[in-house]
Amino acid sequence: MTAPAVASVTKQLSREQVSEYADASDDHNPIHIDEAFAAASPLGGTIAHGMLVLATISEMMGASLGEAWLKGGRLKIRFKAPAKTADTVTASATAQKSADVEVFRYAVECRNQNGEVLISGTAQVPASG
Amino acid sequence: MATPSRTLLSELPADHEFSPPPFDLTREYLDAYVSATRDTSTVYHEAGLAPPLAVAARALGALLAVVELPSGSLHTGQEIEMRAGVPTSAKLTLSGRIAQRSKRAGLIITVLQFDVTVDNETEPALTGRTTVLMPQESRA
Repeated sequence: MTAPAVASVTKQLSREQVSEYADASDDHNPIHIDEAFAAASPLGGTIAHGMLVLATISEMMGASLGEAWLKGGRLKIRFKAPAKTADTVTASATAQKSADVEVFRYAVECRNQNGEVLISGTAQVPASG
Repeated sequence: MATPSRTLLSELPADHEFSPPPFDLTREYLDAYVSATRDTSTVYHEAGLAPPLAVAARALGALLAVVELPSGSLHTGQEIEMRAGVPTSAKLTLSGRIAQRSKRAGLIITVLQFDVTVDNETEPALTGRTTVLMPQESRA
């Protein structure tokens, strides 16, 4: 059974947004918000929180699959590379064929504007909704 | 008297159980979270349920607040399973433990597992597994 299509979601990150997320999540690690600290780090500049970028994937799944995602979704990902605070990130999901009729399965990923994979993994949601 | 340092996450052994920290999803938190993530989906309001990543981020933050992350720590993996929706108005309990801890090439790999349970329910509504890669013997 093939899972229904999921529409991709694109977000333009910004320093202000990362700062807002730091406040909301109470994660003020300087690598996210301190330009001088981050510039001197191996990353060379501030990066977005991984969970902020990952939220784009969850938003994408929820927008297309609704309550089924909120009540029965599963997500398993690896963070492959950090997103810079000014990156444009695009989350996408590719439906996977599966013999299991009870779940829809997807390969999910998040890429930046250069096509670099930031997050990759799998998602699934109950087919019954 | 000097304030004692918090325990490094990298020093916690496998099967370590965290003392249940205070945990809730306030309206203010959820509003701030949705605003910060620029999430325009209407499904949460329609369903009266919290964004799953809002719950997971809050849970992870609550557990990591009681430990110290070594400098150079990397959040390398995340699993989240929604077994039921998390109502925005529900009273919740958070539990967490070190599900795995291993060493490889001078690095410590810890998997932190957490469960969020709605009051009066026996099974978690949401579970998560967070993989953190940390250098040995380093304080932030």
